[in-house]
Amino acid sequence: MIRINCPVCGLRNETEFTYGADATVSRPAMDENEMKPWLDYVFNRTNPRGWHKEYWHHVQGCRQWLVLERNTLTHEIGACELAREVTE
Amino acid sequence: MAEVLSPLKSKCVAGHHGASEKSGLKMGTRALSGLWQIAGWDDFESAAQPVLSSLGLKDGGTFRIAQHADGATAWRIAPDRILIETADPNLENAPELMKLDLSHARSVITLEGPSSRDLLSQLVAIDVTPMAFKPGEFFQTGIHHVGVLIHCLNSDRFDILVPGTWASSVWEALYENALPHGVETLEVA
Ligand SMILES: [Zn+2]
Repeated sequence: MIRINCPVCGLRNETEFTYGADATVSRPAMDENEMKPWLDYVFNRTNPRGWHKEYWHHVQGCRQWLVLERNTLTHEIGACELAREVTE
Repeated sequence: MAEVLSPLKSKCVAGHHGASEKSGLKMGTRALSGLWQIAGWDDFESAAQPVLSSLGLKDGGTFRIAQHADGATAWRIAPDRILIETADPNLENAPELMKLDLSHARSVITLEGPSSRDLLSQLVAIDVTPMAFKPGEFFQTGIHHVGVLIHCLNSDRFDILVPGTWASSVWEALYENALPHGVETLEVA
């Protein structure tokens, strides 16, 4: 069972959340004219074994978007922050 | 003006159901006096303060404990969102706030009785024992995959705020699970 420590609600069962997307992807600059960066941004993802940053939505809770660290191998959950407070 | 009917009107018919020898809990509904959501942006705290003060509320409170004043209850549901129950139709507004009338968008399911906590523990993945969920506290979670807000009023009495469109489904999930405890359904007040 995965439990996620929501900064707003506290420690909650995974069933209250939904996975959103890979949180390591960042959009190319709007004036980027090369095709490759856009292709990567839209379609290509790494498939890491180990720690990964992901967007999760606390849909049956505070309804905030979160950025959380999850280990894709062990399902351990690491740091969890409100997505709005993640600047990088 | 058309009369606003509770989506739980057909459920709230006086009766005793399930285990006949037991009366573990009572299920009912109550009308919301008026429900508002105020939401804002970066300066939410200062933008919300005049609204809260006008209702006699000290501040926005915490994500865990409901705030009370005479005729008003406030739940801090997100960093920049507060839910307020008040009968005051002239809730103050400010340009930096979004004020949303949710009075007809939520229903309240009331639970009362010694088996209330047992029933909740069957349906939510949260510790609802008396030590972990005390009077005055609230949390947002899911019942039957529907987002709800559960407010502990006293040791065995709870209000569950449910989206109106799902009130009937959530009622049924609670009711089915309440049957073994013996449940009394209360007439709509
Ligand atoms: Zn949350």
